[in-house]
Amino acid sequence: MMNSENYAQTDEKWQALLARSTPTFAGDTAPPYGFVTSTLARLKAEKGERDMLERIGLRALFASLAILVAVVGVSIGMQIQDRMDFDPAVKSLLQADDIPIS
Amino acid sequence: MDSPIDVEDCLRRWKQGDESAAEELILHLHPVISRIVRTHLPRRDHEDDVIQEILMKTFSRLHQYKGDAPMSHWVSRLALTTCLDRLRAQKIRPEVRWTDLTPEESTAFDAAWLGSSTPDATEAIHARDVVDKLLSTLAPADRSLILQVDLEGHSLEEIAQTTGWGISKIKMRLFRVRAQLRKMIQNMEKR
Repeated sequence: MMNSENYAQTDEKWQALLARSTPTFAGDTAPPYGFVTSTLARLKAEKGERDMLERIGLRALFASLAILVAVVGVSIGMQIQDRMDFDPAVKSLLQADDIPIS
Repeated sequence: MDSPIDVEDCLRRWKQGDESAAEELILHLHPVISRIVRTHLPRRDHEDDVIQEILMKTFSRLHQYKGDAPMSHWVSRLALTTCLDRLRAQKIRPEVRWTDLTPEESTAFDAAWLGSSTPDATEAIHARDVVDKLLSTLAPADRSLILQVDLEGHSLEEIAQTTGWGISKIKMRLFRVRAQLRKMIQNMEKR
């Protein structure tokens, strides 16, 4: 078991270690040579990639919208056509009596 | 911190596609990020890669910056979160023993005990390696907490603001971390 004196000693040791290593914690005031250039290049590449993905996404969105409109158009057209069609049995009767079908 | 450049102007110019504005922002934010990365990550971690990763995150999330606090504060939080995420991906050491130390680190450990004179750059690095080994036994959030208190001298209120924890929780965690560090230091002393 540790007593309070031991506590203080180990705490002191921790603080001393930290104090002795303090210079290694200081950050750089300026980036190393080439850092800004490489960061800008990466930034540009990521931006280009993002823009491209955005363009692809927009195209895909427009394409699916166009397909949706076409499908809706076709199904509405077919529905109208169906409504105008007679039942095959009625149609054959009408044809037998030579009644024109509009 | 934000005074040397007009951050607002840089942000506006960057949004318009002005690359020189990005360069100004990088030069302005680098020292802030560098200090946080150097403090919260072990010495041998790929520092420049982490700083670049944080800068990428900063630029991709610029639309989230509301301008109600200095940009350096906003970026500091982002940097700290990135460091903690990185630490979480690393394995926590169960303990550190005297035999885990290199001869130079052992000397640095003893020098701290003896209260020797001001260390030179190499001695400081060895002392830092011992500190890193001790810190590697702590959970990432605990590691960050003890450094914010003991190294950066942040008050409990400041830590409460950045972490969102209550003061009593911070005190309790600090108490636990200190106990764990004491145990590790005692372990090291058993040669």
